[in-house]
Amino acid sequence: MYLTVILTVFVLWSLFTGLCPTPLLAVICLAGAGFLLLFGHHSHGSILPIDRYAQQSHLAAYNPAGKAALSVILLVLCLCSRHPLPPFLLFLTLSCVTVLIGGLHLHEYFSLLSLPAVFVLLSGLALVWDAGTSADAVVSFGWFVITEAGQRTARLVIARALGAVSCLFFLSLSTPMPEILSVLRRLHVPKVVIELAVLIYRYLFVLLSVYGNMNHAAASRLGYDGVRRSIRTTGQVYGNLLASSLRRAGAYLDAMESRCYDGEIRFLEEHKPLCPMQVLFSVLITGAMAASVALTAA
Amino acid sequence: MQEILQLEQVCYSYDEHTDALTDCTVGIGAGERIAVLGSNGAGKSTFFLLANGVLTPKRGKILLDGQPVGASGKERNRLRRSVGLVFQEPDVQILAGTVRQEISFGPMNLGLSKQEAAERVDRTMEQLDLTEYRNRAPQYLSGGEKKRVTLADVLAMQPRIMLLDEPTASLDPANTRLLEQTLGQLERQGIALVISTHDVEFAWRWAKRILVFHEGHLVCDAAPEQVFADAELLARCGLRRPMLCEVCEILNMEPRRTMEEFRAACQQATEEIK
Repeated sequence: MYLTVILTVFVLWSLFTGLCPTPLLAVICLAGAGFLLLFGHHSHGSILPIDRYAQQSHLAAYNPAGKAALSVILLVLCLCSRHPLPPFLLFLTLSCVTVLIGGLHLHEYFSLLSLPAVFVLLSGLALVWDAGTSADAVVSFGWFVITEAGQRTARLVIARALGAVSCLFFLSLSTPMPEILSVLRRLHVPKVVIELAVLIYRYLFVLLSVYGNMNHAAASRLGYDGVRRSIRTTGQVYGNLLASSLRRAGAYLDAMESRCYDGEIRFLEEHKPLCPMQVLFSVLITGAMAASVALTAA
Repeated sequence: MQEILQLEQVCYSYDEHTDALTDCTVGIGAGERIAVLGSNGAGKSTFFLLANGVLTPKRGKILLDGQPVGASGKERNRLRRSVGLVFQEPDVQILAGTVRQEISFGPMNLGLSKQEAAERVDRTMEQLDLTEYRNRAPQYLSGGEKKRVTLADVLAMQPRIMLLDEPTASLDPANTRLLEQTLGQLERQGIALVISTHDVEFAWRWAKRILVFHEGHLVCDAAPEQVFADAELLARCGLRRPMLCEVCEILNMEPRRTMEEFRAACQQATEEIK
């Protein structure tokens, strides 16, 4: 977490240095760091919470197809933007929607965000710092320089990436996986793909819980004592996981067949109609985003 | 009594050398209450998988309503419509993302219309007290709730016989009591219940008939009183006698099946002495 904070401060400084006066720069850097330090704790390091948050979200009751369409449209608009401001505003808006209306805790949102954020920050760093010397360098540090053009590109790329991540989070933190799959089914995505997704989704949970149990069992017998032994144990746990997965796969098929499975997975789907509120919200936010993209492009 | 399901000289083996089940002949009629006893690896689970049509017998035949069941997928599905199987581990059985979808898997596979499937699912959820969990993810439920979901899975298919593989194995006493109440409901609906268990106390108070498996053979098919009176059989199969059965023998009274019956009998006896 502290590494992320240092990285954030460094990237923010690189992005805005030379653009604004030093006091303002210090405020921006400190704000970024403070925000991460306050809310960024609590790293789960697992994909499981996303699904649980989606189930518990207050936005889960809305029509999944509507939410999916909205996030795809916003994603496209976000990537079309030529100026960093609209994507950044979109990031703020969608984060507020997900957190305030969806009822997710801010620190949960930020700990989920920290993983993509590290990638975004690292690539931003690579964009903003150039190797070699340049006449219009804003800052130079040995062989490394920051140019204004580099800053501009990096700002745009980081803003777009944040906007895009917030679009995906808006969908995945408000819509449980089965509903996203049912939307795909209605879009006539091939059945094989959807059924694979259903099974992978389901057995991911099983695999992770089996893995967790094996890990605990290994740790309780001091399997992770020392680097050498840790590596050995990890190898054994993975090997065992494969063996037990293969064994279990047979049992799962038996269980499906015993309920007359004939090669096609069918479930009853919950009907969640579009309500006027959702339509209004979607139209408003899409309109605002499109307008701001058009205005900043002009 | 017309038997719904009959196994005739059924054999099954997972590999070439040893039979997991040998020459099993047994019939199950409507509304029966059967406990299946036997140590681990005695062939109970194999028996269930055969009776449900997941496995096909290597030799011998299975009859449903007197008609032999073939080995084709369609024929086996005919068997599965009448005979439902609840697996021991809920995690093996649970498939869908929400409880309602999970329960709908079976009825949808039966080829029912959406409306009819929805009606059955909702009715089953109500019966098993699952309505409040309808949109929850079954994988996050507790052990007892998961068990009820897997029961609902099979019940929604409206089978005539339900096979339950060690349903009380991982349940706490409160959930076990709840399960027994549910079993009572199913019985009143006229569904024949076949339950494999290691809990001889449960078998004694609940079952009307007991099947004992040992090393792949069906070694005994009799009423509980007979099974638990056969000391040689119990020793051979690694079973012990139920406490209540033992106590009744020590007190030299007729064997009582439940604690209530036993208490009533004791009270009556004390009054007679007075």
